[in-house]
Amino acid sequence: MKLEARHWTFVGLLIVVVGAMLLGVRPDVTISDETQRMFEYIDSLPEGSVLIYSFDHESSSLPEIRPAALALVRHSFSKGHRIIGVALLAEGTGIGYRLMEMAASESGRQYGRDWVYLGFKPQYIAAILSMGESIEKTFPQDYFGTPYDSLSMLSGVVNYQQVAGVVSIGDGNMAVHWIEYGQSRFGIRISSAMTAAMVTTYDPYISSGQLHALIGGLRGAAEYETLLKIGGGGQRGMLAQASAHIYILLLILAGNVIYFVSRRRRD
Amino acid sequence: MSRRLAQIICAIFGVVMFLLFFSPHPAARTIALTITTEYWQVIYAFALIVGAVSFLRVNVKNIQRGQDSGYRIISLIGLVAMPTVAIIWGIGANTPFMWIFENIQVPLQSTVFALLAFFVASASFRGFRARSLPAAILLISAVVILLSRSWVEGQFASGLIATADWIRSYPSMAARRAILIGIGLGSLTTSLRVIVGIERTWLGGGR
Repeated sequence: MKLEARHWTFVGLLIVVVGAMLLGVRPDVTISDETQRMFEYIDSLPEGSVLIYSFDHESSSLPEIRPAALALVRHSFSKGHRIIGVALLAEGTGIGYRLMEMAASESGRQYGRDWVYLGFKPQYIAAILSMGESIEKTFPQDYFGTPYDSLSMLSGVVNYQQVAGVVSIGDGNMAVHWIEYGQSRFGIRISSAMTAAMVTTYDPYISSGQLHALIGGLRGAAEYETLLKIGGGGQRGMLAQASAHIYILLLILAGNVIYFVSRRRRD
Repeated sequence: MSRRLAQIICAIFGVVMFLLFFSPHPAARTIALTITTEYWQVIYAFALIVGAVSFLRVNVKNIQRGQDSGYRIISLIGLVAMPTVAIIWGIGANTPFMWIFENIQVPLQSTVFALLAFFVASASFRGFRARSLPAAILLISAVVILLSRSWVEGQFASGLIATADWIRSYPSMAARRAILIGIGLGSLTTSLRVIVGIERTWLGGGR
């Protein structure tokens, strides 16, 4: 098989990404205002605050979204927050549970007392609205089938009024639904960790205050890990991501140089 | 008559849900909770059945015609196998359902998504050309935003991030707000048209 130009671009990308990963360099990153704001928000919540972490993403975005989610959950556990895990997209269910289980076991948090996982509820708009009325009616039992009222952590947690905030871990428009139906209707504070491609979509919501804070992509995760003074997937992946970005920029540059040279020759 | 009935049900629920959304009355809240936690889920379950039956019919028909039979058989096995293991062992943690999900679906989907990086690399070489002034502005903006999300440090980085923030805070945000307001007004208009019965394409059929 004869290799064409596009095949060589594929090979180049593979070499750049794998090479960067093998180097294992964890670069220091400058903290952006948006990540600092998210860190300060989580950090400022008093011990015992109830936070809902909603895993609203598909498995396709896992490599990018997982480091940020893990850093946030670790931070919450270290501050003594009580966490309710839910998933409004089916694929986030197992992923969210594994992630929370890992972070909880690292920090010695006990299931049922310090954190619970309520699992997946279909029809996300209906779920967001009904949780505003009654979390128990929306999730009568947890991920393992334990009745809601048997979980000591959930004692007294009726609806959003007893919850300090929602953190949507998403790769799409789910945070918009949380804003439209959770924040607007019930006044619950919404924050989000999202893929880098989605960040600009949420700028108007950040500007209006409807979205309280966000961290975006692998860079956001790396910044958060730096603030937490722990390593993680964000810092590990930064060099590979940056190398891929620079490689793509060089391709754009090369493509434009070829385009202008050939146009000049044609003229 | 059946179309008329569907239209009436739609109009009643449209108006009721609208009123319930804004009403703080306890009775209204109770009804809203019942509708969202029970009725909505039942409708969703029926929609799933329709989807599954349609998926089954399309694939069986194509297998009979011999079109991509291998892929379609795998799809149908998945369609049958996942509910079967879910019904027998449940969908909680440490079940066969979750094992299949974590060890087959997650890697497959991540792999397919990762392929996008290669397409972006190829497209960036062949497609991102500054053919005109607007195209050049778009290209430069994209490069600045891309670099600002990457790992660049030092004096150059602070200028770059400031430029990226300016792009996000002014031209990008203005465009986003315009789009959001447009979507909002469009959704409102379409919803009203459906409720009052002007828009009837959702009922199917040509009329």
